[in-house]
Amino acid sequence: MKESAREEILARLRQAPKMEIPARPVMPTPREALFDRDGLIARFTEELTRESGVVYRAADREEILDYLTEIARAESLTRIMMSTDDMIRSLDLPAWGERQGVSVSTAADYPDRESYTRAVFDETDAGVTGADFAVAETGTLVIAHGGNQPRLVSLAPVLHVAVVGIDRLVPIYEDALSVFYGGAGRIPPAHLTLVTGPSMTADIRATAFKGMHGPRRVIVILAG
Amino acid sequence: MKIDTGNFVRNAKLEMQNQYARTFLSLLPPYIAARRVKVMGSFPDPAAAQELSRAIRAEAVARMPDLLEEFEKNAIAAGARVLWARNAAEANEMILSIARERNVTMVTKGKSMISEETGLNDALAREGIEPFETDLGEFIAQQLGRPPFHIVGPAINVPVEEVCDLFMKKAGMQEETTDPVELGYAARLFLRDKFRRARLGITGVNMAVADTGAIINVENEGNIRFNKSSPRTQVSVMSPEKVVPTTTDALHLLRVLCRNCTGQSISAYVSIDRGPREPAEIDGPEELFIIIVDNGRSRLYHDPKLREALRCIRCGACLNLCPVYAKIGGYPYGWAYSGPMGQVLNPALLGLEETGDLFKACTLCGTCREVCPAGIDHPAIFLHYRALEVKRKRRSSGRWEAILFGVWGTAAAHSAVWRFLYRLARPVLAVFGKKGKIEAMPGPFAGWFGARDLPVPARRTFRDQWRESLSKQGGAS
Repeated sequence: MKESAREEILARLRQAPKMEIPARPVMPTPREALFDRDGLIARFTEELTRESGVVYRAADREEILDYLTEIARAESLTRIMMSTDDMIRSLDLPAWGERQGVSVSTAADYPDRESYTRAVFDETDAGVTGADFAVAETGTLVIAHGGNQPRLVSLAPVLHVAVVGIDRLVPIYEDALSVFYGGAGRIPPAHLTLVTGPSMTADIRATAFKGMHGPRRVIVILAG
Repeated sequence: MKIDTGNFVRNAKLEMQNQYARTFLSLLPPYIAARRVKVMGSFPDPAAAQELSRAIRAEAVARMPDLLEEFEKNAIAAGARVLWARNAAEANEMILSIARERNVTMVTKGKSMISEETGLNDALAREGIEPFETDLGEFIAQQLGRPPFHIVGPAINVPVEEVCDLFMKKAGMQEETTDPVELGYAARLFLRDKFRRARLGITGVNMAVADTGAIINVENEGNIRFNKSSPRTQVSVMSPEKVVPTTTDALHLLRVLCRNCTGQSISAYVSIDRGPREPAEIDGPEELFIIIVDNGRSRLYHDPKLREALRCIRCGACLNLCPVYAKIGGYPYGWAYSGPMGQVLNPALLGLEETGDLFKACTLCGTCREVCPAGIDHPAIFLHYRALEVKRKRRSSGRWEAILFGVWGTAAAHSAVWRFLYRLARPVLAVFGKKGKIEAMPGPFAGWFGARDLPVPARRTFRDQWRESLSKQGGAS
């Protein structure tokens, strides 16, 4: 039955009269394409700040950890879950956590999906993750999910801290997404997200509410 | 969803009595419309950006069968299962059997207009499977049993006191509050528990990318991301026209969609799925079903004029500028889609029989056409519907109407005839005038005056006065 529904729908569509495909206008070059590095940083920061995100610049690993210490203190963090991508692994957060009195876990620390889900929903104050790209255009993080980048770590906890190398800051979405969906090289990820600031809604009386389902706060540390 | 398009006039009159909704409508749509204009300005050339999105939508619809096959091939290659449903019943049955096979008794749902169309929530509930809408506005509308008031804010008109009562009764809220933020937080807690436990998550699809087999969802709340991360099975329901050729096209449409929808340059979240989760992933769906629901579209695809309706990207820009929507809100449109978008889509999908008032409740001002990023000519489609209806009906009064409009047409096209007939009509019209207005007329004209007034014709026409003053001047010089 399913097979025939497919054939029926496609056949009916194909029997319809053909229509002309209109010509496409030429689009001017996006402004961001002409920005230098400082311009990109400024745009990224301006855009994300407008969406109530926070952006820090850190020169090296030391400074990144200093910021994390500061955040942990300000937000009274005691339990962090981290992704295991190269950037985050390079920070050796478990050692940092030990010094700071913050427990740091990864998805791999849990014996099964159920206990991981419980932990990330209910027992985690913040998710700390890398991001594959930061896009200046709108202050957007591009995160390709996978074994080292669980989906819920940047979503379920009320605070999301992302650490992104400055070399991953690109002008527009296309610069980032063509790497994944360009056809050559990498296999596209099963799940990729563009994240711009915290979760939000204005569904009750058009009043803004940050942290509807996902994080209430998003902090991005641009590193390098 | 119950179809109530046949009661448009009654419901519109009712809604116009609703002062709360009226106040709301006088504030919100103009605000979103102004934001839209501002943020469209962030394109280097806003007009070109609009022209490009229109071209992409026109191409996507023109190439729809090919693109669908390409999309299907690539989605299957990525591990998704693609199912096709002719109509609402078939689509709902597919989802029900997926749920039954997995012993699911509760599902979480992201906003999906096609599932509003197919009445999925009712179908699930009838079979003892509890569906939870997880978009805050949809959640409220679902619990109240109401259609969406606005495509972006489905329950944005509901007073906070009513939301409070609702959440006390149905969302486990402990203490009464009318603070929108606290109400939102109560919903967060309630739905978070559902996300944690849900075995099956259902989402809609904003775009399906043919050359990668990926589906894209656009949202602000994060509920769709939860639906794609927590449950072990994901079902994403789409109508065929969601397909677009490439990721590059999708990204341009994304920019245009967000700007037109909420006046944002980008929504908080955009998620792109290509197949179910990878083996190494600890969360995400182990299986991904994509259901393509035709529900009448392949049929209307044969009418070149109606086919244009399939370009719609559900942004809602037309609602915010429509003078009719601004007075009556979303309820009177009686189904999944409201505003000019609903006036185009509801008759196309439900037929003209029960939707006749929808395509007539329009002044043909053309603002919707002007703003539409998908390039839909709404007024032309309304005229097309009206013509189809006249052709179909051939009522007994149709003959007199035809004669009357024939005379009217001739008069309007020939100034001498117009002047002559108007000279005859003026004294007659004047008889019915009260306080400078004609509010009612007897006989065949009663209907027309039922909802319209005419000013009483002046005793002397402008033309007469003009001629007189010219001759006076001429005499003086």
